[in-house]
Amino acid sequence: MTAGEKAGPVGIDHATELVRFAEAVVVGDDEELDAAREALLDAVGPEAFVDAAAVVGNFQRMVRIADGTGIPLDASLELLTGDLRGDLGIGRFGSAANTPEVGWIRRTAGRALRPIAFAVLRRLGRRS
Amino acid sequence: MTDLAFSASPIPVRPDICEAHRLTWERLARPGSWWNGAERVAIARAVRESPRCGLCAARRRALSPLAAEGVHDGEGVLPEAALEVVHQVVNDPGRLSRTWFEKVMATGLGEERYVETLGVVVAVVSIDAFCRGLGVPPHPLPEPLPGEPSRYRPPGARPGVGWVPMIPASAARGAESDLYPGRGAANVIRALSLVPDAVRSLRELSAAHYVPVEEVVDPRAGRALGRAEMELLAGRVSALNECFY
Repeated sequence: MTAGEKAGPVGIDHATELVRFAEAVVVGDDEELDAAREALLDAVGPEAFVDAAAVVGNFQRMVRIADGTGIPLDASLELLTGDLRGDLGIGRFGSAANTPEVGWIRRTAGRALRPIAFAVLRRLGRRS
Repeated sequence: MTDLAFSASPIPVRPDICEAHRLTWERLARPGSWWNGAERVAIARAVRESPRCGLCAARRRALSPLAAEGVHDGEGVLPEAALEVVHQVVNDPGRLSRTWFEKVMATGLGEERYVETLGVVVAVVSIDAFCRGLGVPPHPLPEPLPGEPSRYRPPGARPGVGWVPMIPASAARGAESDLYPGRGAANVIRALSLVPDAVRSLRELSAAHYVPVEEVVDPRAGRALGRAEMELLAGRVSALNECFY
């Protein structure tokens, strides 16, 4: 956690307002959504607020595509995030059944490879 | 044409979002690959009616969604199996299962109609969630256009990693050569490719609501909202829906 006016509980700018807004759109009532919207607008301004509403809308769709077609995680992601998924406890979600469980060898290999993969991604990003 | 200009919004909306919504609504009104325009708009209407469905409420209370039997609330344009897909995908996506999917297929709906239904559902859910977040009313549904569905099944589609056939990146040729720009395609991009227009719609809407599909792996791709903030939202929405992917 980072201290400071802009930082939230996970070290991301305006995390508290962003999470509150996402929760309000997905499961909140109208009153809570009004309050969450106002708080996020105050925090990030209108342009980034529109981006936030759009991202929430986008992932309301993507989760339904994934769960509605029974797809597993992509092979690279499955390898690189085995231990993270274990830490997050998302294996309890019903749709976890679509992805075979990762053994300890692949989990260890994924943990070792992850810094390399992220470095490659960053390099690809800088090139494009 | 329906007014989608967000005239009721006190907050300015990016032109590319307005354009993506307009294109999606135009596509929604036209005959698709397996449903005609009236049926596609009926699917969209069912999306909006589904949160008030009595059967869905009973299912949410049940230990398993398959435990509660009955008929979904809704109009008679769509077959019951299509209503089942719409309601379950909207209201309880985290408990969709292969058993449920096979039960739907046993009704004779067909995997092509299933995928097109899913494509319409997710587009409407996405746009309506954006409007709700913004604090404006949902766009009025378009008037359906006449015509018959094309009944086009892409030749490259084949059984693969999910419940429905998909077009692998290596088979995206000919009429489907535009589907997957960049290197390869993630499973979630290929998931609706049995109905190629559903992938095109997904890409148009994703480019406006998030980042273009080909830029997703670029950690610098962002907007006024930074990428880390975008991913926090994505993760929270996914967790609330109990989505493993």
